[in-house]
Amino acid sequence: MFLLRKAGFYLVALWAALTVNFFIPRLMPGDPVEIMISKLGQKGPVSPETRASIEALLGVGTSKSWWAQYTEYLSSLAHGDLGMSVTYFPASVSSIIGQTLPWTIGLIGLATIVSFLAGVGLGTLAGWKRGSWLDSLIPVTTMFQSVPYFWLALILLFLLGSVWPFFPLNGGYDVYNVTPGWNGPFLGSVLYYGTLPALTIILSSVGGWMLGMRNMMVSTLSEDYMVTAEAKGLRPGRIMRRYAARNAVLPSVSGFAISLGFVVAGSIVTEAVFSYPGIGSALLQAVGGADYALMQGIFLIITLSVLGANLLVDLLYGFIDPRIREEKA
Amino acid sequence: MSDLLPRRGRRAGVALAAVAAMALTLTACSADDGGDKKNAADSQITIFNGSTGTIVENWNPFSPTFLQPTNGLIYEPLYYYNFAAPAEPAPMLATAHSWSPDGKQLTITTREGVTWSDGTAFSAKDVAFTFDLIRKTPSINASGLKITSSEATDDKTAVITFPETSYANEAAIVANTPIIAEHIWGKVDDPAKTINQNPVGTGPYKLKTFSAQSYVMEKNASYWQPDKPQIQNVRYIALATADAASAALIAGQVDWMSAFLPGLEQLLAGQKNLTYVNTPALTTSIFTCANKDLGCSGPQTDVAVRQAIYHALNRDQLNKLAGGGFAGTASPTMLPPERDAKWIGDQANATIPGAADVAKANQLLDTAGWAKGADGIRAKGGERLSLTIQTVTGWSDYISLNDAMTQQLKEVGIELKPSQLSWNEWNNNQVQGKYQLSLDSIGLGASTNPYATYSLKYVTKATAKVGEAAGTSGNYSRYSNPVVDKAVEAAAGTNDEAAQKAQYTIIQQEIVRDLPYIPIYVNSMLTEFSTANATGWPTNENKYALPASWKQWDNGVILSNLTPAK
Repeated sequence: MFLLRKAGFYLVALWAALTVNFFIPRLMPGDPVEIMISKLGQKGPVSPETRASIEALLGVGTSKSWWAQYTEYLSSLAHGDLGMSVTYFPASVSSIIGQTLPWTIGLIGLATIVSFLAGVGLGTLAGWKRGSWLDSLIPVTTMFQSVPYFWLALILLFLLGSVWPFFPLNGGYDVYNVTPGWNGPFLGSVLYYGTLPALTIILSSVGGWMLGMRNMMVSTLSEDYMVTAEAKGLRPGRIMRRYAARNAVLPSVSGFAISLGFVVAGSIVTEAVFSYPGIGSALLQAVGGADYALMQGIFLIITLSVLGANLLVDLLYGFIDPRIREEKA
Repeated sequence: MSDLLPRRGRRAGVALAAVAAMALTLTACSADDGGDKKNAADSQITIFNGSTGTIVENWNPFSPTFLQPTNGLIYEPLYYYNFAAPAEPAPMLATAHSWSPDGKQLTITTREGVTWSDGTAFSAKDVAFTFDLIRKTPSINASGLKITSSEATDDKTAVITFPETSYANEAAIVANTPIIAEHIWGKVDDPAKTINQNPVGTGPYKLKTFSAQSYVMEKNASYWQPDKPQIQNVRYIALATADAASAALIAGQVDWMSAFLPGLEQLLAGQKNLTYVNTPALTTSIFTCANKDLGCSGPQTDVAVRQAIYHALNRDQLNKLAGGGFAGTASPTMLPPERDAKWIGDQANATIPGAADVAKANQLLDTAGWAKGADGIRAKGGERLSLTIQTVTGWSDYISLNDAMTQQLKEVGIELKPSQLSWNEWNNNQVQGKYQLSLDSIGLGASTNPYATYSLKYVTKATAKVGEAAGTSGNYSRYSNPVVDKAVEAAAGTNDEAAQKAQYTIIQQEIVRDLPYIPIYVNSMLTEFSTANATGWPTNENKYALPASWKQWDNGVILSNLTPAK
């Protein structure tokens, strides 16, 4: 029953998201044909007749009603057909997503995980050893978090890319010397090129995890069972990890699952600053080019993964925290 | 408690050291990756042509989203037109052409000794095939050519016939149609939809490797121009922003790019390998919705107001404040005066003075009945002389222009209200005529013949009522003048330059008075080069091609002229 109710709720949420997803791009000003023509105009002259040839090519006709477009949209989604991208014509939306998503998941996903682990780890220690030097990390990391992200990223890029060139300035890998594929030099290059963007993401988000974890640790430490555990003579390491941290980490875990859901949304700013070939830059292009199909495709992926992450949290929470399992039974 | 931290700390310390070591080794490898390779066989340059994010493979010159090197590097036209300087068309795949006396038949003599990059010989049959394919396939007929037939009479002569006099389409035919190979494209089912993998062309380069982030073109060893090209490999890369591009330029990772970089002189000072060239080509203008009869509203529909704005602008100051000092002097005829001097009928209309003529502007407005109000802004019949002007968010030089013009026009009692819109909305407003004033630019048509500008921007045929879409890059001003319409038609009916010029002189008299587009200056077009890997780039003294890295056709001409740096 619990599962059914959850599933029903998620179905309704999915439908609502898909519908909004359909309408929002269409409310934006601009006409994809017009935009394509003007982009073409930048390469060379275009004549008035170009419009007709592009309309013929894209099969764009405004004659179809919104309702007809909507039902068509839902039925092709059901078949897994996301349509054809206008900005990346003639590539299909699925192929663009397929090309860009791995970069984003790799970079933002890894950075989110590292940031979470580092934040929770440091927060645990800071909470455990209140008043130690670790506490002074908190203002520092929260400062990094409060600096606008693009500014932090630009400064780091300038310092570590231009002034002291430790890291590359742009791109996902060394396009000059390595060939993409499962080979050592390429993977090494991807790691190297991803380090600086990842570093900026971690720097700007670790503070939140750390602060939350530390405060939860502090309140957990004052619980009676902590005194009991200490009285039983358990090793401090065991108390910290099994008694304090395990209880304190619960709110962070649900926050973590949600932020994993948002990983596929990528980070438009990160990808723009570092010219990273992920899904965020594809989304930016799609918006600039009134590319409804691509926008819808990307929003769909984002919606699905956020809903999926929520569902996962809902279902897994019970297993992580035995108390919730008890209540439900 | 206290024995915990050291253990944790140790572990963290080890991890950190490992990460640092990895980063160091990676830095080390990449440092020697960029080593110098300067012998000619390995010569390579890198171009940023404005592509951002993921690159999608598409070498079909008839597709609207083809990759730019398709035209110029892989495929070539019959003639090459240089937009950067006054020059005769340069023969490429054609060596001569002639029109029948009625302008309905074009005979093209093709070049001998040209081969396709797969080794097959090129002949007039390929030319005839190209135009026949365009005739048969409306979806690839981007120039809207009306063709009756296209045949090769022998191996070096192609004859194209048209249903009507087609002198005006000469540029589209000879300079803007890529010639494709019959033995390849004859087998393509839908020429509009193919992405044309492994393209076969006659141009100086062919595709070597492609990936979604970068692609490499390599020298076509059997190119028909002897000893050209000399650069072995040309790499194109994608970057997200102009900031990233300028950083890459300074770091030596990009050899050729085109972008307006604020503080360019300072940026390049001390970089001995970097240089730039400025090729102003587009006239930055205030577009006005000028025609009351087609539904425009606002004070700018009064010709006296447009003339007053024209005279009240201090263009020297605008160039300094917004143009970075790189802009060229415009002409009220809307032709770039340096390149097109021979087309300007009355030399009094050749250039606009840099200083403002405030007295003239005031006098024009006084005569037209616009009287100064208490707040210093003029009004007539209860209508304040207040105008909105739109431009695109992020076009920083245009935004500065608007701010400076607001100050300048206030002097003569005109209130200007700048607004910034998204590109889509801005463009849509122009197409639909839903604006009062708008900043945009005019120029770079199909050819250097003024017909390219006048037949699009000024004729009644290319416009529509406010609320309906005007023709593509057409008459957004809603200007309609029978004298201009007639002269444009007459110019299209002849290929005698003197007769054309006589018609253009008539047009120029009308538009200089009516000013549906108020010219400001010929905007800079800055291109930055590095001479570290290659030399022979266009210079301010020798503009043998339009150097913009995004320009099709010109790319191939420039790359053919480069030599590896010593």
